[in-house]
Amino acid sequence: MSSQLIKITTSDEETFKVERSIVERSVLLKHLLSDLEYDETDEDAEPIPLPNVRASVFKKVLEWAEHHKNTNFPDDEDEDARKSAPIDEWDREFLKVVDQEMLYEIILAANYLNIRPLLDAGCKTVAEMIRGKSAEEIRRTFNIVNDFSPEEEAAIKRENEWAEDR
Amino acid sequence: MTDLPKSNDLTATWTFVEPGLELIIGGNDENAGVNPKMYMNVYSAIYNFCIKKSSSATSLSSNAANQSSLLVGGEIYKKLSGYLISYVKLLKKRPNETFLEFYVRRWTRFTVGAGYLNHVFDYMNRYWIQKERSDGRREIYDVNTLALLTWRDHLFDKNIDILTKEILEQIKLQRDNQVVDNRTLSVAIRSFVLLGIDTNDLKKPNLNVYIEKFEAPFLESTRQYYTSESAEYLTSHNVIDYMKKAEQRINEEETRETLYLDEHSKKPLTDCLNETLIVNHSEIMYKEFTNLLDQNQIEHIAKMFSLFNRIPSTLDPLAATFSEYIKIQGNKAIENLKNDYSNELNKNGITPTSILITKQIDPKQYIRSLIQVYKTFQDIVATAFQNNPIFVKALDSACRDYINENSIAKPNGSRQNSRTPDLLAKYSDTLLKRSKDADSTTDMSVDDIMIIFKFLTDKDAFEANYRRLLAKRLIHGSSSSEEAEESVVQRLQSENSLEYTSKITRMFQDVRASHDLRNLFKEETSKDLNFSKSIVPDFEPYILTEMMWPFNHTDSKFQLPNVLTPTFTKLQQLYQNKHNGRILKWQWSLCRGDVRANLSRPGKAPFTFSLSLYQMAILLPFNESESYSLGEIVKLTGLELNVISNQIAPLVKHKVLIQSTGSTLDDLYTRIKICTEYKAKRLKINFAGLVKNTEQKQEQEDTEREINDDRKMYIKACIVRIMKTRKQLLHNLLINEVIQQTHQRFSAKISDIKKCVDELVEKEYLSRNEDQTYDYLA
Repeated sequence: MSSQLIKITTSDEETFKVERSIVERSVLLKHLLSDLEYDETDEDAEPIPLPNVRASVFKKVLEWAEHHKNTNFPDDEDEDARKSAPIDEWDREFLKVVDQEMLYEIILAANYLNIRPLLDAGCKTVAEMIRGKSAEEIRRTFNIVNDFSPEEEAAIKRENEWAEDR
Repeated sequence: MTDLPKSNDLTATWTFVEPGLELIIGGNDENAGVNPKMYMNVYSAIYNFCIKKSSSATSLSSNAANQSSLLVGGEIYKKLSGYLISYVKLLKKRPNETFLEFYVRRWTRFTVGAGYLNHVFDYMNRYWIQKERSDGRREIYDVNTLALLTWRDHLFDKNIDILTKEILEQIKLQRDNQVVDNRTLSVAIRSFVLLGIDTNDLKKPNLNVYIEKFEAPFLESTRQYYTSESAEYLTSHNVIDYMKKAEQRINEEETRETLYLDEHSKKPLTDCLNETLIVNHSEIMYKEFTNLLDQNQIEHIAKMFSLFNRIPSTLDPLAATFSEYIKIQGNKAIENLKNDYSNELNKNGITPTSILITKQIDPKQYIRSLIQVYKTFQDIVATAFQNNPIFVKALDSACRDYINENSIAKPNGSRQNSRTPDLLAKYSDTLLKRSKDADSTTDMSVDDIMIIFKFLTDKDAFEANYRRLLAKRLIHGSSSSEEAEESVVQRLQSENSLEYTSKITRMFQDVRASHDLRNLFKEETSKDLNFSKSIVPDFEPYILTEMMWPFNHTDSKFQLPNVLTPTFTKLQQLYQNKHNGRILKWQWSLCRGDVRANLSRPGKAPFTFSLSLYQMAILLPFNESESYSLGEIVKLTGLELNVISNQIAPLVKHKVLIQSTGSTLDDLYTRIKICTEYKAKRLKINFAGLVKNTEQKQEQEDTEREINDDRKMYIKACIVRIMKTRKQLLHNLLINEVIQQTHQRFSAKISDIKKCVDELVEKEYLSRNEDQTYDYLA
């Protein structure tokens, strides 16, 4: 019974077969399975569509979920502990090797599927990319066009002078 | 997958999700299911709508700064809220169902649907709603709560009266033994709890609605139902049947409670049942209690107890009745014993008076009567009252009462001390004394002594009487076994105190030391063969510490017979050498000895007479001459005439000595002759034991006086001890403390305490102040 897998179809019509325990890393899918009393042992069980996730992204999400199959994530309720916890080493490596576009897609998918630990890890990774950088460096990192006029920029700088790291 | 609506189009989005919602919440077709696709579509549409602004841009980089705090959802929320209201308003009862059935049917479906809704709107819950609430918009709720509140405001509140009414009707039917659907009731009642939402703190459970709208009317209807049922039932049934009925009803209600009531109702329902079924009918049950005791209906008593035990305060009157009942039974048992005995006396031609009976009653029968009553009721306490402390206490207090005060212990309501301690001491004596008739003590035991002892108020009186009898057993060597003696002392000590048995322990020590002295004496005298012939063989001296033993030394005039002088002198000398300066006072009247009497007819074996020392002194001169006048015997022995006539009586009666005809034993000129050819069935005759004990009455009085003197000393010691620590104390407080400190030994009379205080004031240990206090004077 436990070997029965759940079929999940991504937006680009690719179908994945996934273990229930891994599917349940997504709170959205976990609720769906219990609400619909979904029975994967039923031959005719309909696949679950994911209209907002592409196969390439879903694959990464599954890779992450597979790795964390047995991880016990701390209680969601404790906001502060979650915020201050460092990024898991494996997660850091996992998110470092993907390109920026993929990183954002993973974050979006985690948000959509409601996978809190992955969403947190993704956001923290982006935060680390910003931390300790000047405005110009950040613009370069994220490929942002500076749309301030020189006057505006000077005014902002003046206002935020106190925060400058000297 | 491309059939999702445009994310920025509210109308399109809503049109897209509405059919899904219809299925989720259970519209016209309650049983239609939702498939994964629809589920995901609705979720995704809501998700897309909520993130439309940011997702419309090509990447996060565009104007992210402006959008970061702008979350979307308000429009969808409003749509959803409106949808739910119209949905709930449109729900209709089927023509063939009751409102309750309709309510439960729709509510069951609705709550499941609300759970689904909460999940498919999860994205809105997670961000927009949370943000709104944390910004202080208390009128925005998570979707599940929104659904429940909608139900509450638009359906529940408007129909609450009919709902409660129908629920209560169902419960009444069930109480009337009709079959009703427990699940329907459970679901309906549970909805009162779930709908008690505290809009200020959603997580806090709130039972206000349940308590106010359901529990209160429920309790009221319960009260009415059982008030009238129990009153009616009692008009046609007896109390025992009623108790069964009440018990059954309580059990039923307890099941009901677990089936469909909230935890919260447990206590008020219990209180309501207790009051209507038990407290309101307690009087009639109390009345029945005595009858049940009379008939020994343990099972019914147990039932009555289990009912009253539900309300601890109702046990007190029951325990009081119980205690009173035991007292009466205890007194009755003693009264019966007394009647039996007086019938017996009548048969023997003696007029029975209360005082005579008290003096002559068999201690064994008396103690057994007391114990039997105790055991009977102890049994009831254990089986029917499960050893409940209130009843254990009631039993104890009743026992203390009848054991210390009954018509034998205090004949004619005398104000003297109770005779029970004395009778218990005699009972112990019977048990511990060596006896020819071994069967007579088989149904007696140390345990029984301890049972009665525990209840004695005058424990000091028992101690004094016990010691008096123990002394005799010890010096006459009549104990059945040393072990038995010691085990009783052990038990008394652990039940009361080390101090309580200190004198008794000292007596045992004296006896042991005396045995050592005897061995020393033997050793010393055997060194000189010539001398040892002049010593009494098997001489057993007892050295008794004067204050510990219940003997008064009286300097009686007595001339020790010459044959005994060497023994006497040798022992004196031996003892004085060992313990220089100690004074030995001789208790002649307690000495005994065996003599061989060569009075048999020729050819027959000689007799052995056990004699008191006085008898011995009287008989010995007859070795020299065949007859003496009483006057001559007075001179030879140094004894008073009345002592002689008392001692000589058994010898004359059994014809060892023959008095001249027509004379009396109190006349100095009466002549006494020795019998030369004595006849008797047995060779060993005990004359010492036959001496009429004129001292017995004396002893009784001595003991009584000793007890009273000891009490005074004890009370005074208490007063001084208390005052020494307190320095100053109010009169009443002093009295109370003394009573408290003495009650382990005896119940001190207030008048006695006052007397002792007066004496202490006189002797200037204390001083009395104007304001009812005393000062301690060091």
